[in-house]
Amino acid sequence: MATRLQFENNCEVGVFSKLTNAYCLVAIGGSENFYSVFESELADVIPVVKTSIGGTRIIGRLCAGNKNGLLLPHTTTDQELQHLRNSLPDQVVVQRVDERLSALGNCIACNDHVALTHTDLDRETEEMIADVLGVEVFRQTIAGNILVGSYCAFSNRGGLVHPHTSIEDLDELSTLLQVPLVAGTVNRGSEVIAAGMTVNDWTAFCGSDTTATELSVIESVFKLREAQPSAIVDEMRKSLIDTYV
Amino acid sequence: MRSQLVKSKARRPKRRRQGLKSWPITFSPFARALALARMPKRHSQNPTSSVNIPRHSHSSDDESFDGVIQADFSFFDPKPQDFHGAKTLLQTYLDDHEWDLSSFVDLILDQTTVGTVVKIEGDEDEGIFALVTALNFHRYREHRCFFTLKEFLLRKARQDKAVADRLRLLLEEQSRVVGLLVSQRMLNLPPQLLPHLYAALFDEVSWATEDEPTEELRNSFKFKHYIILSKIYVQKSAQQKRKPSNDNDEAIIYVKAEDEIFHKLRNYRPTGLVMAVEVDKIATFRQELASLISET
Repeated sequence: MATRLQFENNCEVGVFSKLTNAYCLVAIGGSENFYSVFESELADVIPVVKTSIGGTRIIGRLCAGNKNGLLLPHTTTDQELQHLRNSLPDQVVVQRVDERLSALGNCIACNDHVALTHTDLDRETEEMIADVLGVEVFRQTIAGNILVGSYCAFSNRGGLVHPHTSIEDLDELSTLLQVPLVAGTVNRGSEVIAAGMTVNDWTAFCGSDTTATELSVIESVFKLREAQPSAIVDEMRKSLIDTYV
Repeated sequence: MRSQLVKSKARRPKRRRQGLKSWPITFSPFARALALARMPKRHSQNPTSSVNIPRHSHSSDDESFDGVIQADFSFFDPKPQDFHGAKTLLQTYLDDHEWDLSSFVDLILDQTTVGTVVKIEGDEDEGIFALVTALNFHRYREHRCFFTLKEFLLRKARQDKAVADRLRLLLEEQSRVVGLLVSQRMLNLPPQLLPHLYAALFDEVSWATEDEPTEELRNSFKFKHYIILSKIYVQKSAQQKRKPSNDNDEAIIYVKAEDEIFHKLRNYRPTGLVMAVEVDKIATFRQELASLISET
């Protein structure tokens, strides 16, 4: 199910949060509203952790992660690193990366199997991504934009990309990522998809300016309507018959 | 009498051409360079502004340009595409209070008969430089954002009981004839535009009292009072000022200059932020504003 919310009057929820299948990171805000929406949706299933990165609240754009690991920029302080290591489940590897492009959330878009990265990322960082996150890494652009982490959001079940992505690009990306992709917008026409929303396999959070049309596109492409927060869904996928639409 | 006014569905920009001794209002050196590169095409008589401007200008020093820059500010009716620009301008309207800003902006943009938006003609960005409108409290009383707004106003006025009571009277019993005057702009906007902007607003209000399709709507624009929410800086003590000013005696500094004129004409003593102005004083306001602008 997709939920609409705001972070202190700001609809860019993907900037202030990071959602994966194993954990959720939330920025520290003036009021507790933001955190409590996440809590009410996710509390029993995955840990929701309040944190800052490098003393800032734009955590969604600074870090990249999936259920296997979390990559943090070199600006992360030791206390924040320790706090995250303590709060996240043990199977999640938390690693600080020494990369010139420190806004990892803008440079890397990933799910549990594949990652798309900025074309100018260091080779060592690419290896670390493959290692820590356990994914196959592809250097790509989206509609001519090199900040792939900003202009697309994808989960293991589907993805949403920049509205001006051509059909050929869509097909190519869809083949690489092995998930269905749709070009669309969020927050009433905003092209910066990943800043306006955050998604995992069973739920999504969008900015409150998101129109009903945009929300229905999101719910259909990420297959959120009949989603279950079960870790075994993927493994059982081949033997299960999908729901008849 | 009003043959030149055509409030048709086709949008009519009301043109106010202003010569500026200042920069086109843009946010980055790159955008500024683009704007300058565009302008010589429109104004061939432009004296000094150079034509060979590099498209990707990385230098941030503007001192190399001098002379008069022409920019065409046009006044438009509000339309739905202006949503993001209007929302940005109104972001701090209720300080940092969390409220339904999006639906408030939607209300403003839906009211096309009264309300003006200032944009640069032909700007692909569709950035909004200023916004003025007047919203009737009674007409929108059902909307949640107006509840929050009223609550906010009453809370701000709470320190002074008499003022709070009169404000509550205005907002509730007399709400049919009370309008919220919303006026937000980029702070560097050339002040020469202001008299025209306010003229446009007050003219539209008076035209709306005659042109609106239904009786109810016509009456909703027969305002007796305007409520204005304005930001000011108050001198904290003899030594400290929140904002430096040339005039050492100024006890209150207004973020928007015209608010000072409103303050003088007020009927209710403002508690820093909220003012209610009687409509009859508007004519005086327009005169004073014109003289203020021509002096500065």
